[in-house]
Amino acid sequence: MERRATMIKWVLIFGAIYLGVLVTLALVSRSKVKNVDDFMMGGFNIGYFLGFMTFAATLFSTFTLLGMPDFFRNHGVGAWLFLAVSDGVMIFMVLWFGYHLRKRAREKKFKGMSGLLTECYGNKWAGYVYFIGIFIFLIPYVSIQIRGISIFLDAAFDHALPPWGWATLILFIMILYSETGGLKAIMYSDVFQGILLMTVVWIIAYTCVQNLDGVKQMFAEVKIVNEDLLSVPGPKGLFNTQFLVASMIAIVLIPVTQPQISSRLVIMKNQSSMNRMAVAVGCFAILVILPTVAIGMYGAVKYAEHSTPDFLSQVLLFDQAGIIAAATMIGLIAAAISTSDSQIFAMSGELRSLLKGDEKKVLKSTKIGMVVFALAALAFSLISSNQLALLARLSFAGTGLMAPMIILAIVSPGRKIGMSIVWVSALAVLVFIASQLGILPPAVLGLRIDLFLFIVLGLYALVAGILGKK
Amino acid sequence: MNTKKKSTYWHLCIAGVVLVSILTFTPLVIPEGIYQPMLAGVPYTLWMGIVVAIVLVTLTYFGTKFHPGNGEEGHND
Repeated sequence: MERRATMIKWVLIFGAIYLGVLVTLALVSRSKVKNVDDFMMGGFNIGYFLGFMTFAATLFSTFTLLGMPDFFRNHGVGAWLFLAVSDGVMIFMVLWFGYHLRKRAREKKFKGMSGLLTECYGNKWAGYVYFIGIFIFLIPYVSIQIRGISIFLDAAFDHALPPWGWATLILFIMILYSETGGLKAIMYSDVFQGILLMTVVWIIAYTCVQNLDGVKQMFAEVKIVNEDLLSVPGPKGLFNTQFLVASMIAIVLIPVTQPQISSRLVIMKNQSSMNRMAVAVGCFAILVILPTVAIGMYGAVKYAEHSTPDFLSQVLLFDQAGIIAAATMIGLIAAAISTSDSQIFAMSGELRSLLKGDEKKVLKSTKIGMVVFALAALAFSLISSNQLALLARLSFAGTGLMAPMIILAIVSPGRKIGMSIVWVSALAVLVFIASQLGILPPAVLGLRIDLFLFIVLGLYALVAGILGKK
Repeated sequence: MNTKKKSTYWHLCIAGVVLVSILTFTPLVIPEGIYQPMLAGVPYTLWMGIVVAIVLVTLTYFGTKFHPGNGEEGHND
């Protein structure tokens, strides 16, 4: 009881500091906004450090601190390959694709990927297909941030508020903050969140390893509890080769398909800043995922039979000192807000890039769009499951299906490629959704449906690119 | 360093990343159901996975040195 009171005291102190930081950053950013590009694109002048922190904080969110330990606990060490190794390839993709994207963005006056695709294909449906695709698959991704933190706060505060109450509160803060300060404000808060996330995750991991008498002993105890966690495919057979290959493809394509990431490549000051950012993100990925192994393995030993919310509240809060538990809670709220606001802001940016007319009116519609997207995410968060990592993966795979049509448009300037790849991509998205809903089978010719669709789309894009007229 | 040499190294980096990615999905990194040999108590697939991730970041670092877009100007230049 006394422990909980100490934790709540520190939550209030850290919470007040966090809110103070948010308000200050929002107001400072607002004072620097001179035009719509400043508000939506951070003035296209982001340096290496700010770019690195915002990219990392957007990519590594509540999903990292809540989803990954649970993934390691349930499915074992293969989770490292699922995320960390895939991220290693993804940062190389940033170098290759970022270069081409920035070139095209300069030529076409970039406002968002939807607008850029409309320009490249010379057909507004290219932009619409992309926009609808990201709406369908990013809303679940935003929702899992909200869902994750809501179920966690619900458990931590002994049902003081229902999960939808926490979700609404977080979304309200997020919308107010984003609409006040714009992208720069989001980026500054990302720096704060990135540092907090990294600090907290290492402290918790250290506590977990200490409680199990060191790394060697930790894995020895996991071996006793469930030996299958120490190798692939894991106790439930999830990490088979097909799953890992399809996951790697989906994650590698994040900088291509997810607008909150691709827009961050475009707004970097220059190529050199973007390149340095990519390497820094790779280092950050290793450093932030590594401690989640320890947290997950600790969970496998101590809380193997617990539900996800119970495991997370035990390991992240009740097994920690009050001050650490409080910092974790604020860190998680910050992570949820920083990732969700980046995604919702990016979706609004995509909406803006499709709209034409007076800039002020367009900005007003964009801001209304932001609220609509947030409400959609709130609604979905109430009905989604607690399998955070798997829901995130679903989002990566769904948006990944649009990568071939994007890559083809970006890296084939001067070629007339036609709209067929756009329609085939739209069809692939529908097939994928139907498969997830159980209307179509989950595998074709012995291949997982996402892997099958990646291969078909990739080959189609290759042929369309080769046959495209100069 | 001349452009041709740089381009060769850049393509070598790409080849390296592709090769490492493919090797990741072979029994060299993910032998099914096997966790030996352990390194300092860490199971095989995990420590190999950590090595693979470090190699990929290193290749990306070298990629930044030889990337054809090095020296490209920014939006406002």
